[in-house]
Amino acid sequence: MTALQDRLLAAHAHDDRTALVTLYTEAADDAANIDAACFFLTHAYIYALEKGDPAAKGLYRRLKGFGRV
Amino acid sequence: MAKDIAPQTLDAVRQPIETAHGLPNAHYIDADVFEVEKQAVLCANWAGLAVTADVPEPGDAKPMEFLGMPLLLIRDRQGQVRVFQNICRHRGMILVSEPRKIEGALRCPYHSWCYSTEGKLVSTPHVGGPGQNTHEAIDKSLLGLIEVRSHIWFETVFINIDGNAAPFEEVHADLIARWSAFDQPMYHGGADSTFMLPVRTNWKLAVENYCESYHLPWVHPGLNSYSRLEDHYNIDEKGKYSGQGTRVYRQLKGDDGAVFPDFAGLDTKWTEGGEYVTVYPNVLLGVQRDHSFVIILEPVSHAQTREHIHLLYATPQTDDALRTKNAAQWREVFEEDIFVVEGMQKGRYAPDFDGGRFSPAMDGPTHCFHDWVAGKIAAHLDVP
Repeated sequence: MTALQDRLLAAHAHDDRTALVTLYTEAADDAANIDAACFFLTHAYIYALEKGDPAAKGLYRRLKGFGRV
Repeated sequence: MAKDIAPQTLDAVRQPIETAHGLPNAHYIDADVFEVEKQAVLCANWAGLAVTADVPEPGDAKPMEFLGMPLLLIRDRQGQVRVFQNICRHRGMILVSEPRKIEGALRCPYHSWCYSTEGKLVSTPHVGGPGQNTHEAIDKSLLGLIEVRSHIWFETVFINIDGNAAPFEEVHADLIARWSAFDQPMYHGGADSTFMLPVRTNWKLAVENYCESYHLPWVHPGLNSYSRLEDHYNIDEKGKYSGQGTRVYRQLKGDDGAVFPDFAGLDTKWTEGGEYVTVYPNVLLGVQRDHSFVIILEPVSHAQTREHIHLLYATPQTDDALRTKNAAQWREVFEEDIFVVEGMQKGRYAPDFDGGRFSPAMDGPTHCFHDWVAGKIAAHLDVP
């Protein structure tokens, strides 16, 4: 997770929102429980939504599946 | 009754032109009166804010300030130009702080609530707790961006801040009919066809100077060679609009004799005709056979105005050199007016100035505007 955290911080530092979608999705996939996963999925979804990234649809579906949107 | 606005001063303005006085000094130099005018004149009517070319493509967003209010001009995904109050419905944070393209959603930089370009609230991250993006108390359908009523005419974005004005097409029906020949596509000339002039004057003085031709031979002597005072006529439709017209509009020509393409289907009135009218309160429009222009007066304070000038053409592409020459020519004319509007502003600090008297022959358009402003203020203050 530390390496991922470093990459997330770097993406934030560079305001690289495409990378943020990917990295928060990765963080969700690696999360220890559903609450943690939904926290990261939310971030991935929001950045995807802002970018108009097609990944937003899939992320929304995952959150919907957990009753989080 | 607002400070410094006595009913009798408004009555004096609304008399027949032969006996009327102009609006008194306080309407130009008193910040409290300016606050009343903001509500009665600028917010209660259809004020000019911007031009559509400010947001040329879907997703383009431009934050603007009007009378101190943060607004967001945006072209939504369907291509419609809209105006919103530039704040998130959550904590009132400014949503967009620089002009930019919205690729997907408008994300508030504070807690990341997201809005569509149509203003719909689409996501409220963590609003129900971490990873919980809904809460029963937060009804997204009720929390869209606050839209400001807007209308497009002459590629100009007019807004009615208080939302209570009659529809634009109704308020300006007569002027729309008068200029129906120009109800056709117009194209902004681009970056070289727009400029801004900051002037140390009350916005109304810019209107007043624009409306009348009386000053032309004195302030714009260059026009005398072909556009003499007697070639002009007054336009003063009481309670509606005012300005002036010319019967000797002469097309600009390039070194090679080239001219701009004409607007389509104009009748002979416009072969040598041009008209220059104020769309009350703050938009100055000019129409001629081959181009039009828009001047949006941005009232910055009671004593400061920014004039935003835009030139519009009949075709999307025009000759670069000719367009540059045209912009330079208009800039020269409008700059010639600056000392006048700034001089009149300074003159309003003379304690015994009584609003001035009008020439019944020459100042009809100016009196028409004063009468309109006085009427709007009287109505706002509920003066019988």
